[in-house]
Amino acid sequence: MTAEALPRSQAVATGSRRDRPLDLIGIVLTALTLLVALASFFPIYWAIITSVKPDGEVISGSNSLWPGRFVFDSYIHIWNNTNIATWYVNSFVTSIVITALVIVSSAGCAYALSQLDFPGRRIIYVLILACFMVPMQALIVNHFVLMAQFKLLNTWAGIILPQLIVPVVIIVYKQFFDSVPKEFREAAQMDSAGHFKILFRIYLPMNWGVTAALAIITFIGAWNSFLWPFLAATGEATMTVPVGITQVKDAYGIVYGKLMASAVVAGLPVAIVYLIFQRRVTQAIMLSAGVKG
Amino acid sequence: MADIVLSDVSKSYGQVQVLDSVSMHIKSGEFIVFLGPSGCGKSTLLRMIAGLEEVNGGQIHIGDTRVDQLPPNQRGVAMVFQNYALYPHMTVRENMSFGLQNVGTDKAEIARRVEDAARMLEIGALLERRPSQLSGGQRQRVAIGRAIVREPRAFLLDEPLSNLDASLRVRTRVELAQLHQRIGTTMVFVTHDQTEAMTLASRIVVMNNRRIEQIGTPMEVYSRPASRFVAAFVGSPAMNFLPVSSIAESDGQAVVNAGGVSIATEIPIANLPSGDGLTLGVRPDALKVTAGGSISGVVEIMERLGDRTLVHVRLPDGSLVVAEDGGKSALEPGATVSLAAARSEMHIFDAEGIAYHSS
Repeated sequence: MTAEALPRSQAVATGSRRDRPLDLIGIVLTALTLLVALASFFPIYWAIITSVKPDGEVISGSNSLWPGRFVFDSYIHIWNNTNIATWYVNSFVTSIVITALVIVSSAGCAYALSQLDFPGRRIIYVLILACFMVPMQALIVNHFVLMAQFKLLNTWAGIILPQLIVPVVIIVYKQFFDSVPKEFREAAQMDSAGHFKILFRIYLPMNWGVTAALAIITFIGAWNSFLWPFLAATGEATMTVPVGITQVKDAYGIVYGKLMASAVVAGLPVAIVYLIFQRRVTQAIMLSAGVKG
Repeated sequence: MADIVLSDVSKSYGQVQVLDSVSMHIKSGEFIVFLGPSGCGKSTLLRMIAGLEEVNGGQIHIGDTRVDQLPPNQRGVAMVFQNYALYPHMTVRENMSFGLQNVGTDKAEIARRVEDAARMLEIGALLERRPSQLSGGQRQRVAIGRAIVREPRAFLLDEPLSNLDASLRVRTRVELAQLHQRIGTTMVFVTHDQTEAMTLASRIVVMNNRRIEQIGTPMEVYSRPASRFVAAFVGSPAMNFLPVSSIAESDGQAVVNAGGVSIATEIPIANLPSGDGLTLGVRPDALKVTAGGSISGVVEIMERLGDRTLVHVRLPDGSLVVAEDGGKSALEPGATVSLAAARSEMHIFDAEGIAYHSS
């Protein structure tokens, strides 16, 4: 007897999820999901297609979804006529340093909040939670004034320092450290390990998947960051890629083909990271979404 | 090896007292078992010796050193945890070496100690595996190995057999006893399993309700329990308890009326307190089914254990007792039987639960 021949309730009870035929709601939801996916992907597709169209075709107003002829002039132009290599170096350095410092400092902070008993622990944790209520934009003037006073504008340090405040990483780590049985810490204490050794030799390796996920999402966030680097780096020598591509224009104003080429180049590392670590990125988004509620 | 001395050790969490003025002297080389029900404070006491719990009052000495203010790694003890707490990302060798590396032990010395311990525990073939690739019994051995390589003055074991299945637990119990004989180091073992306590211990510390009820050898605890709690907690099947309705004297010894029958004991009547609330205690193995026994009753249930049979007998006043018969007992439920109680193995408990035994 097949699942289709059974009454609906029985078919659900006996058939596996994969074997079950899609019902009407399922078909509608699937179609809707597909539509949203296409709508999300279309701007990326449009950017790529525009970047390989000849300039004439771009400005002609034709909205063809496929270029009449593939040219890579825009890519050659931005490589030869902009500081994109420098912007790339700046983006790599700042993103990697931000990722490393955020992971190390957040893990240390979370370990202290999770495992150590000290006065004010709860208050500090509540303050970290409260940081969610203050958007980055609200602090940007303070950050700018502070960095200016320290003479750190137009430096890597100036771009990096304000971006080290990532409370969600602390909270995700704390949740994971809370879930590690305390016997591991106690066993390590019996083994003469201090807190730094317990954190770096026991707790972090035990939560390696979480660290990888958080590092990836922090890296992507740092790479894509625009507002603060835009304010902190006014000279082309210290601009990051997302800030640098605003400089891609010529005497005739905005040139869409070249702008799209630089946008594609800017997004490439993030796309590569995402494609390689897709599962970890999804995990990280779910972890941080769980925290943000 | 070292003595461990606890003097008036107390522990409380806020207003909740979990240990109340506990004192004891564990002699060097002894295998001491803390036995008691869940929540009696036995694990807390072990953790206080280890340094994992703060001591609120009293002192702990290991050897000549007062240790209750020292961190765990400076007390010279090693601990085996209930869930073993093996670091999952390290191999067996790394797990066993970790503690020695942290104190700067020479690499060759670490390798020697790990190899020696692995040979002793027969885990040499497992050294490059991770804990997830080991069975429960193998993990347990590795946890002991991790403790052995530190060459501690005492081993502290917190219910290390409770995660093993029944047959493995029996085997590991024997191996643990052999290990203790071989290395002779002081061992303090926490369990709520009386069989583990009886088979492993040099002395058992029976704990209940924040304090020590009795310290004694397994046979002392079994044969001469200090309190009704100890009598009920130790021994399987449990001791029979019958309320005493009256006491008479015969040659200076108590003859009690309990369960609707008169039962002679060897307990000096002069030792017994006056007043009500006395209870007679007799273990099933001291109450035998025998022709011509002085106690008669009706068989309700038979539990055939192979080498012996436990017979549940309803006494004239309606009380139910468990007695013993041979493995090939021909009794059937409903039969009338007579029981003989060994006079020297009778116990009387007063209203506070204090025990009185034959002299």
